[in-house]
This record gives sequence, structure tokens and C-alpha cells, in this order.
Amino acid sequence: MSRGGVGLRHQSPEPTDPARVVVLGGRGFVGGVLLGALKHAGIPALAPTRLDVDLAATDAGDRLAAMLKPTDSVVLLAALTPDKGRGVGPFVANIAIGAATARALEQVTPAHVVYFSSDAVYPMDAGRVSEASCAEPPDLYGMMHLARETMMEAASRAPVAVLRPTLLFGAGDTHNSYGPNRLRRAAHKEGRITLFGEGEEMRDHVPVDDVVALTLLVLRHRSSGVLNLASGRSISYAELAGKIAAQFERPIEIVGTPRQSPITHRHFDVTALQRAFPAFRFTPLDEGLAKAHREMIGSA
Amino acid sequence: MSEPVIAYAGLTHLGLVSAVAAAARGFDVIAFDPDPIRVAAIARGELPVVEPDLPELLDKHRDRLTFTADPATLGRCDIAYVAPDVPTDDASASDLGPVRALVDVVARALGSAAVLVVLSQVPPGFTHSLPGPAERRFYQVETLIFGRAVERALHPERFIVGCADPSAPLPRAFAAYLGAFGCPVLPMRYESAELAKISINVCLVASISAANTLAEVCERVGADWSEIVPALRLDRRIGPAAYLAPGLGIAGGNLERDLATVCRLADEHGTDAGVVRAWLANSYYRRDWALRQIHARVLDRVTDPTLAVLGLAYKENTASTKNSPSLALLAALAPFRVRVYDPLVAPRPEFHPRLEAAATPLDACTGADTVIIMTPWDEFRALRPDAVATRLRGRTVIDPYGVLDRVACRAAGLDQAVLGAPEREAEA
Repeated sequence: MSRGGVGLRHQSPEPTDPARVVVLGGRGFVGGVLLGALKHAGIPALAPTRLDVDLAATDAGDRLAAMLKPTDSVVLLAALTPDKGRGVGPFVANIAIGAATARALEQVTPAHVVYFSSDAVYPMDAGRVSEASCAEPPDLYGMMHLARETMMEAASRAPVAVLRPTLLFGAGDTHNSYGPNRLRRAAHKEGRITLFGEGEEMRDHVPVDDVVALTLLVLRHRSSGVLNLASGRSISYAELAGKIAAQFERPIEIVGTPRQSPITHRHFDVTALQRAFPAFRFTPLDEGLAKAHREMIGSA
Repeated sequence: MSEPVIAYAGLTHLGLVSAVAAAARGFDVIAFDPDPIRVAAIARGELPVVEPDLPELLDKHRDRLTFTADPATLGRCDIAYVAPDVPTDDASASDLGPVRALVDVVARALGSAAVLVVLSQVPPGFTHSLPGPAERRFYQVETLIFGRAVERALHPERFIVGCADPSAPLPRAFAAYLGAFGCPVLPMRYESAELAKISINVCLVASISAANTLAEVCERVGADWSEIVPALRLDRRIGPAAYLAPGLGIAGGNLERDLATVCRLADEHGTDAGVVRAWLANSYYRRDWALRQIHARVLDRVTDPTLAVLGLAYKENTASTKNSPSLALLAALAPFRVRVYDPLVAPRPEFHPRLEAAATPLDACTGADTVIIMTPWDEFRALRPDAVATRLRGRTVIDPYGVLDRVACRAAGLDQAVLGAPEREAEA
């Protein structure tokens, strides 16, 4: 009956910088921002490249173990993302990455493990999602993350934090999934944003900077348990498109398309996050979108 | 026959209130507890519980009450109720050890014709499992409500009595005692009566959960639950006394215990308790309503805020903080300065690391960025919104139970958040 197991537990009630953070997947969207934040905070970091250790290789576990120290905090971000496909191939490859990391963690127990999972572990008909919601992945991508969560918890004797981010955005995102990045790029390139249906679906969009700031808090508190990384404020794609269009000086056309699939919504109950980090404030969505817009224009 | 002598064993909330009510009904009552310190304190008028009218009633009928820690005194009673409060753990599971031990003490002391009645909240099968003559062993449903316990004990709606043989007449003394209250007596088998108690609470939780679920929808779609409730009460299938007031989840321990028992029984016997687990999930979710409001309305906007919290008890007219939403809220506000007032519960450092106790509700409000009214005490209902507005630095009032007059709050320029009230109105 108790929900004592839901949410995070802080092993270090007072925030303390980790001795070193090993970031697996440091070349990705979140990894790059995380490494920048660690550098800014003066926290030593190690981000092995594929040349250092190919996590898909058979000897990856041993090679990774040789790099780890018992004082390290390990962040696993490495994964083939859904834009590379949601089929069996990416599933097997991602499981191999998880298995290699698990083998390394079995050999060397670090101070802390942070696993970046996904809200894809929750079904789309879950209603309002919290950490207490049943994780019943609807596809292989979500199943992969749930399996890797279990791998990390089973392999490591260190505290394990499982972070389940929802839709992230930021100018540096190389993926082009249906969200602020794709909508902004389409508006920039074509002067038009095309919506699925009339953009009725409600989603929660989180700036990557906020996700990284929360990750730093998790690292500093050596937190364990499960935490969804969501703001708790969902808006429709139609409203999101309007906000993105408003960033441009020229008029942006927003067009609907015949609906191909049923409307689904996703809302988060973020009280576990509010309890874990009471003083944390999410960047207002308008502000986050404006920053991503400025950065995109600046790099164009 | 002469009036039967009644005994109540276990002088915590249930036993003490029931003993005093029996005396008020004109019976000689032996009030027994194995703890002599507790007995001595009660005999001096130092009551371990807070209930409206209880001290006065005890004082008025003291001559019919014998407080004792000596079990031999029970030898002269005709009916002995075993009525200790049954403690629960963090998972809401009952610890039946103390009630079982007390049954043993009482049973050994009773005369050969005396009746033993289990009044404590026990799961189905408990009374059946007790040793001793079944024809003089009964279970009776208690319907104590914290804050209204005296009224409920004096004027019960009905007596539900679990028996070994429901078709057999009740012993004369027992029937005479129950008859004195002038309400229906419903004999049934032990397990039915024990489950009837749980059934009552489960039905109440179903009502509360429906109210909470729909109140939240009201908040989002511009409806007002307080306008809908009168319409529901006029529906005969729902009724004028239905539990339709939205709240901050289930608290106090008793309802949670019964839900836990239903889940345990369902798991053990392979029946479906999915809906009960959904109610529990909804309860936890609604408990944090005030926290979500504070984040959205204050913490996202104000740097280094001061928060005033009125109320620590889990409900009004009690000093109990068991599963109190207020304490759960304080635990989630650790980094912030909090000023607290409760009419009965003294603030303690373990509630919050930066807690300041205020002498009055308005003192708590002085200079605060928001006031959160977590317990609907009458004392808070008497607060004038314009006086609150004058003391507050901010404009936000988190008032889940709507204890402050909504029109007066608007007139005072306060942004009042109320369970079941449209959010847009509060933000307007």
C-alpha cells in the first residue's frame, strides 16, 4: 500500500560534487550538453568515444571496466534513438550496449549509476503518468529501455537512478522526431509547419538544459530510484506550433493533415520530482523555445 | 432484571469514548486498561484523546464510571467490550497482537455468564478464531469518526452484531444494553459483521474517490463541484449524507487499513481488487494537490518565499496527524521558510527543518507569500479574508476545503485555490 518506493531517495542529502562522471554516449544530444555542464561546474568527466570502447563489441564490458574507478559516477546515455528505427535491429543493438555496461558494472562497483531511460516505457493510454504508473512498453524501443533499467539495477551494487525523460528539445538536437525541433526547422526552411491532424495531441516538452540541470542534481545527491523528467505542463501540438511560429518575423503557415492515427495525450504528475528537488524550477516553455530559436538562428 | 454492568477494556480512543457514552446512557461502566498510568491519568480527567464534548460528558457521568487497571474488577460485569485501537504499520496492515492479548486478559477475568464483545476493527475471521464459548462471544461494528466520536457513540444509526449463530436470540443482558440506544440491531455471522465494517468504509472511499476525481475535472473545465453536489444529494440513489466533499486523499489510518485488508483478502483468495488499488493511487495523488498548487502559483514565481501553513491535524477536531496531508506537504517544502499554526497540534522540528510556530493564524500569515489552509478547523473559517489579505505579502491562498468565503476573498483581492473550483476563476 505504501508508495515509499516511488520517486528518488538521496544517498547524499547535502549536494556533493561527484569525483568523476563517466558519460557513455557523450557525443549525443543530451551527452554533449551534460559534458558542457560538468565542465562548467568543474566536475571531472570522462566520455569514452567508440574508438576507446565500442559498446556493441563483444569485449566492451571488459574494456569499459578497465576504465572505471570505484569513485566514478556512471551515466549511461548511449542508445540508438527511435529515429534510427524501432525494430528488432536497433533493439538488439541497444540491448548489447546495455549488456556491455552491465558487465562492466559487475566487475567494478562505481559510486553511482544514472541510467537515461525514456517515457516510452509507459503505454500511451496510461492517463496521467507518474513514477507509480505501470511500465508496460507498447513497442520494442520502450521494452529495450525497461530491460536496460533492470540490467543496471541487477548488475550494480551502487545506487542506481533511472531517469525517464519525456520529449526533449534544444537547438543541438540532431533528431527530427515530431516536436519543437522539427517544427522549428520546418518553419525556418519552408515557412510552414505541418501538423498531424489538427495538432490536438497534448504533450510535455522539456528543454535539454533543464534535463541536464536535473541530472546534475541527481549526481550531486547520489540519488536512487525512478524519476520522470517532465515539467507537468502539457500543451497541444497546435498551441506549440503557434508558439514556434511566433518566434519568426515572417508569417509561418500552420497546416493540418488528414488524421492517420487516433488522438493520444500525455500528461505527467510531477510531484515526485517536486518532492525530490523542491527548489528546482523548470524553464517556462516560451523562454525555452525562444532560446532554442535564437541558438538555431545563431548557428545557421 | 437489573441494568447490566458494562465493561470497556482498552482505553484508547474507541474504548474511552464508548465507555463514557454507555455511562451517559445510564449504565454502570467499568473502564479497564492494563496500563495503570493511563488509567490514573484518565481518572484525573487527563484524557489521551481530543473529542468535542467528551470531557464534559465524562465529568457529568463520572459516578457511573469505574476506572481500573485491575482485571479482577471485570468479574462483576455482564458484558465486556474489548475495544483497544488497533495500530497499523506504514503499509496500513493491522497489528492484531495487542487486541488478541487483551481478549485473553478479559476472557480470564469474566464471570461464567458474561458476554465478550470484540469492538476493535479486526479482519474477517478474527472473532471466529478466538477461544472460549462461542454463544457468549460476539463482534460488534464500531463506526467511530474522529471529531464526532461522542455523537456517534450516543446516537448510533444501527448495531451490527457478529454472532456464532445469527438465528439464536442475543443473551438478555446484551440485548437489553443494545436496546437502550433505540436503533436497529442487525445480527449476522461473525465474518459478515467484520466485513460489513470494511464494506462501510469501502463505500465511503468509493464516494470520496468519485468526488475527488470529478472535482479535479471541475478545476480544469470551468465547472464548480460545489454547484454539482446539491444536485447529487437530492438523488435518492446517492443521498443527502453522501461523502461528496473533495479532500486531500484518505487519511487517519482507518480507511487505509480497510483498503489494505480488502487488497490482502483479494490477493489471498484470487478476487479482483483493481478498483481499490486505483482509489489508493488517487488518494496519494490528491494528497499532493496543495503541493502542486504551491509550485504552480508561488514557487515558480517567487524567490526565497515564506509559506504560512494553517493546520497540522489530518482533519478538524482531532490532534491526530496519522497520514496527515499537512505533514506530507511540509516534508516536500524543506528548503523554504514555513510558519505554522494548528489549534491542537504543536509544531515539532521533525515536521520541517525551518519551521516557525505562530501564535495565531494571522501571525502565521504575516509577511508570507501564501497561506495554505490544510485542515478545515472552525477557527480558520472565522478568519476574515480582508484581514488575511492585509497580513499576507502575496495574494495567493491555497484553501483546499474552501474554508474562507470565496466572494470575500475575491473582494479582498486574494487569488484563492479551492478543490473542485475552476482554476480560471482563481487566476482571474
